Amino acid sequence: MSQFLESFVQTFNGFINAAGVTLQITLVSLAIGAVIGLVVALMKLSSIKVLSLTANVYIGIIRGTPLIVQIMWLYFGITQFIVLSAFWAGAIALAIHSGAYIAEIFRGAIQSIEKGQMEAAESLGMTKTLAMRRVILPQAFKRAIPPLGNQFIIGLKDSSLVAFIGISEIFNLSMSQAASTFRQLEFYTIAGVYYLVLVIIFTIIVNKIEKRLET
Amino acid sequence: MITVRNLHKYFKDLHVLKGIDLDIHEREVVVLIGASGSGKSTLLRCLNFLELKDEGEIIIDGQQIEPKKVQLNKIREEVGMVFQHFNLFPHKTVLENIIEAPVHVKKINKEEAVETGIALLEKVGLRDKVDVYPDKLSGGQKQRVAIARALAMKPKIMLFDEPTSALDPELVGEVLQVMKGLANEGMTMVVVTHEMGFAKEVADRVIFLDTGVIAEEGHPEEFFANPQHEKAKQFLKNIL
Repeated sequence: MSQFLESFVQTFNGFINAAGVTLQITLVSLAIGAVIGLVVALMKLSSIKVLSLTANVYIGIIRGTPLIVQIMWLYFGITQFIVLSAFWAGAIALAIHSGAYIAEIFRGAIQSIEKGQMEAAESLGMTKTLAMRRVILPQAFKRAIPPLGNQFIIGLKDSSLVAFIGISEIFNLSMSQAASTFRQLEFYTIAGVYYLVLVIIFTIIVNKIEKRLET
Repeated sequence: MITVRNLHKYFKDLHVLKGIDLDIHEREVVVLIGASGSGKSTLLRCLNFLELKDEGEIIIDGQQIEPKKVQLNKIREEVGMVFQHFNLFPHKTVLENIIEAPVHVKKINKEEAVETGIALLEKVGLRDKVDVYPDKLSGGQKQRVAIARALAMKPKIMLFDEPTSALDPELVGEVLQVMKGLANEGMTMVVVTHEMGFAKEVADRVIFLDTGVIAEEGHPEEFFANPQHEKAKQFLKNIL
């Protein structure tokens, strides 16, 4: 236990920096992922075949392949053609990944809004687009909050996989510390503790937002 | 005001409307009755294109409407609709529900829309509910707000799809009262309802639908006193 505490204290500053990187890449990727998710959800619900088919293919591929493969593919594959820092390659890979899941969350939330809402809006002379923006989406966003919160927590933990393309976030640091000190048990425990703390903070924020929207 | 010729509507293999001919004149109140599945709601929904016809003509205000060629939202601005389940927007207050379409569809400035909205709420007896959210209202109040919301677009005709069917019995009267008021002001109305009392008292014409055709139509007094069609006799016997 004392060894554990010693390791913890010694690497505290380093891990705080790494946690900052984790947080950064998580927030950036989730923000982009949310935008992708909304666009893809609307594409999937579109009556234009090309759009819904494209959305389905995208979701199918992303859900059908491991995230680590997507990260490696983007970092080592795409960077042969365009210059992309490891951070952005990782962030974009995570965004494309979570985007597919967020799209399904938005799609479900939009479809859960009673058919009568669209009918009422249309009967008042609104176009489908206006009705979607003013009537359907505001209600759908509210319903999407709980599953979105869940997806955001998954996204936070998934970000650990960008350690393998050399981004110095929490898991990357714990791997290098473990390797250089041979204290594997301690440093992977420490990594777990940092993730747990971040997840708890995320959860509290999500719950607060849910509570506020209820009233 | 509305002319329907040889209207047919299918839901997959189900032939719901089988050649409806109908004329609705200005200031006329027409009540559509019939057993469930007779096609009365479908007919009403065809009139503002929430269901699209498969065959036939629909002429509104002298203009023949081909849904694929015209902007339906422009026509719908003229045709108000009240639904069985109210379909108020739950994320907006009563007043916001009412001014939504005037402000965002008709582009009327907000102060004017608010003024009209409050006047309409006064008219349906809900002036004190301006800032309340729909989930705090009773069914009857919700439906009165829904009527005010449709009226805010200043439609030339109002369609009512079983407006009192989802209400507790003691709340039906307040909604019918508002509808009566509208009829007296000369609003053109098409009403699908099971409220025979309302039909007798307010309607200029009663239309009885049976399995997708107009089986009988006539002045309410004659129709209710002396129905001709066998199915109409049966229907009235069951419902009264």
